[in-house]
Amino acid sequence: MVLGLICRGLSRKTVASSVLSGEHHHAVTLSPWIASVMTLKTSAPLRGEPKKKKKVDPRRELLMRERLKKKLKRMEKIPPEYIPIEDFVTPFKCLDDTRVRSSPRLSFEESEGRAMLLKEWSQYKQKQHLAEVQAVELALEAQREALEELKLESEELYLAALKPDPLLFPFSHKGPVYTPPKTKYDAPEGKYNDITKVYTQ
Amino acid sequence: MAAPCGGAVGRPLCQFLSCLSRTAVRYTWRRQFSATSLCRTTLQTQRVTEREGSPWTLMAAVCLQRLPVISADCHPVEQRFRELTRQMELEKSLFSDHELRLLEDAERMNRKQTGSYDSDEEDDNRGQDIVLAQDLEDSWEQKLKKFQPAPRVKADVDEDLTSVERCLADSLVLLAEQQVGSEKLWLLPQAEWQEGDTLRQTAERALASLPAGFSATFLSNAPCGVYKYKLPKAARTDSLVGTKVFFFKAVLSAMSPSAASNAPLMWLKKSEMQRFVKPAYTMKVERFILDP
Repeated sequence: MVLGLICRGLSRKTVASSVLSGEHHHAVTLSPWIASVMTLKTSAPLRGEPKKKKKVDPRRELLMRERLKKKLKRMEKIPPEYIPIEDFVTPFKCLDDTRVRSSPRLSFEESEGRAMLLKEWSQYKQKQHLAEVQAVELALEAQREALEELKLESEELYLAALKPDPLLFPFSHKGPVYTPPKTKYDAPEGKYNDITKVYTQ
Repeated sequence: MAAPCGGAVGRPLCQFLSCLSRTAVRYTWRRQFSATSLCRTTLQTQRVTEREGSPWTLMAAVCLQRLPVISADCHPVEQRFRELTRQMELEKSLFSDHELRLLEDAERMNRKQTGSYDSDEEDDNRGQDIVLAQDLEDSWEQKLKKFQPAPRVKADVDEDLTSVERCLADSLVLLAEQQVGSEKLWLLPQAEWQEGDTLRQTAERALASLPAGFSATFLSNAPCGVYKYKLPKAARTDSLVGTKVFFFKAVLSAMSPSAASNAPLMWLKKSEMQRFVKPAYTMKVERFILDP
């Protein structure tokens, strides 16, 4: 029992010394009073500053954030409105009765003439289409022949010819217009007000 | 290789035989070598020997096209159909705001002229009396008349075969007069293939060698046509039978104004090519030139 008491006392002392060493590096052998004074010195500037509404500010900020989060959640729960497609909505102007044209009565000859013209047109377009298809097939045949001849000549050039050209696209070419462009023509500056409606979800 | 045989019947046959023998030789060579590092050098020498063994010289030519600038004139059927569709669309449509305004103004004029008309009865005198819709139309027409567009067809420019601006409604092909053997012929600008180039680079070189400055977009790495030319029997040797010309398509994007007018260049439509170019050549070239 005496041994146990001595052990306990020894352990307490060792604990005290370890606590001291943990708190302050130099004060290993100093008494606990001096140690507390040292701790006071290190924390003095922190305690000396005046703190305004220390507890109220973080609370207010937290409350604000919670309110905003609740609002966001409520807004997210509502499904977003669909953006209306303007083209699918017939404007009221078009349903006005005053705008209806009186459809003229066509004579028999005229309706017959129209039917004949439509048939001529379909035949003309068919011939045009066939001619286009034949021309494309001819061009493809010519290319196939060229590649065959090239293959007979040398494999290396043939493989180089088969590689796709990465620099070709994007390729743009302005198509034919009705009148040729005038040299030295100053186009007048046009002002316009853009009234397209922009929707955001 | 088979020796050149005489007679018209023999020529295609000897071509076929030479073709066969070439391919047969190639296959036997390939069977002997396996995939090793030794094989790579031997394959390269094999490629060189392949080309050296072939009796054809390679050339690349460029088919430079100027695409149409204005729309072509309409066929009579097209014109009639256009009028018909316009008429039908007008009949099936509703009145527009401008047309309604025209009708209202016409009605108001009629009412004023009848005499028994009190302008105070009008509910809205928003100043529509001042500017009638008809006046607006007239002012628009006046503005249109002030603008003079460039003429679509200029007859004198069309006749000048060397000008790029002739026949704006069709696509034109560039032809150059080049020395081939002993004669000067009109053909698509060509250049001879050299080691280390691809055929497309040769075609680009052919375009750059012309005296005029053209900037063109080449459309693909693959040739669009081929023309085989066998030398006359007198000039043929064991190693040289003829030339193969590979054509590459290009689209003209811009022309520098430093074009020399003395250069032997011509811009021709597809239908005009027969006049200047040899028939066998035109037959092969016409196939890949799409009109327009």
